[in-house]
Amino acid sequence: MSETPDRDDDTVLAGEYALGLLSAEEAAVFEARLGAEPELRALYAAWAEDFAQLAEDIPPETPPAQVKTLIESELFDTPRHSIWSWFGLAAIGGGLAVAALALAVFLGADFLNDGPGAPDYVAEITAEDGSLTIEAAYHAGEARLVLERRAGAARPGRALELWLIDGDAAPASLGVLPDDPHAVFEVAEGHRAAMPNATLAISDEPAGGSPTGLPTGDVLAAGQVSSI
Amino acid sequence: MRDRDEIEALLARAAIADRAAFDDLYSRTSAKLFGVVLRVLNDRASSEDVLQEVYVRIWRNAGRYNANGLNPMTWLITVARNAAIDRLRRQKTQPTGDVDVDDVALADPAPTPEAEMLRGAERAQIVACFDELEAQRAEAVRRAYLEGETYADLSARFDVPVNTMRTWLRRSLLKLKECLSR
Repeated sequence: MSETPDRDDDTVLAGEYALGLLSAEEAAVFEARLGAEPELRALYAAWAEDFAQLAEDIPPETPPAQVKTLIESELFDTPRHSIWSWFGLAAIGGGLAVAALALAVFLGADFLNDGPGAPDYVAEITAEDGSLTIEAAYHAGEARLVLERRAGAARPGRALELWLIDGDAAPASLGVLPDDPHAVFEVAEGHRAAMPNATLAISDEPAGGSPTGLPTGDVLAAGQVSSI
Repeated sequence: MRDRDEIEALLARAAIADRAAFDDLYSRTSAKLFGVVLRVLNDRASSEDVLQEVYVRIWRNAGRYNANGLNPMTWLITVARNAAIDRLRRQKTQPTGDVDVDDVALADPAPTPEAEMLRGAERAQIVACFDELEAQRAEAVRRAYLEGETYADLSARFDVPVNTMRTWLRRSLLKLKECLSR
């Protein structure tokens, strides 16, 4: 299979896969190849786009309200998911459910106040149950974001990645936290303007950070940036 | 903002557990996806059940949708269609391949020229290309996609041996691709 297979064959195979016509064995072989062959993924993606056009003919049908209720209770009604709802609230309420800022803690913190001048903005990025807490201090002049992890750590073989969430825009990665509890990030020019009103969030990611440029794992902690 | 960008942004926010974004995504897309699921299953009760499954998957996998391949609506429609087809085939207890694309193929699809095309133009083109196929053969491809029919279903429907059906369909795919790439 590692030879360059005939492109027509692959075109047909990708089409059959997109239509769901392959047998279980054939589909498994195809999926194994997909992971390794970008060209095959492109062929598949092209068919998926093409065939999705057929769905344009299907009339929309509003589902009954109970479906939404069932989805919500499946997703959000267990304690494991309470962080999600908390985060959702924070995103809507713009600070409504955000943990109170421990201003005194910042003022007393040597590391956070390391370097010239006091920070302009701070945030406490914290899990609802306190299992992960990261204090952040932002010096707008130098675009310097000083971080101190005070509780919690990445799981073995995983990484904590810091995200900037600016309103409705897609989350932007600010970087992967090092093993050292102290870190200093320089905020990229494109994100500086958003910092004062942003929410900062930490997600659980594969070692080295999200491979996709967007969060892929659970959101573990979040906090609103505010002026000091 | 174009629809595509908006839905992409909603998915990205859902990926970081933003429930408001998920609500918005649901209200904008659930009627379409319910239509797709109903078309495959043709039964309201099981369609409602599958739709629930679909949005649970969307919430949990939103981080795996990335703006580097499929149109976001294509991704959502594909997740819905595949979940419906999985259900259909489980009901029939017919051994056949799961089409679990949200787990595999969408991890990092390469950008395609098709994905970049305007949806309206693309739509017109696919309709034109289906029209170039013999009516029965176009119907077979449509039925495979929209109703989740298998080679066995199609061969029974068109009253031809399975191998003949497979040959027809594969030729149709090549003709379609040739037409679409013109």
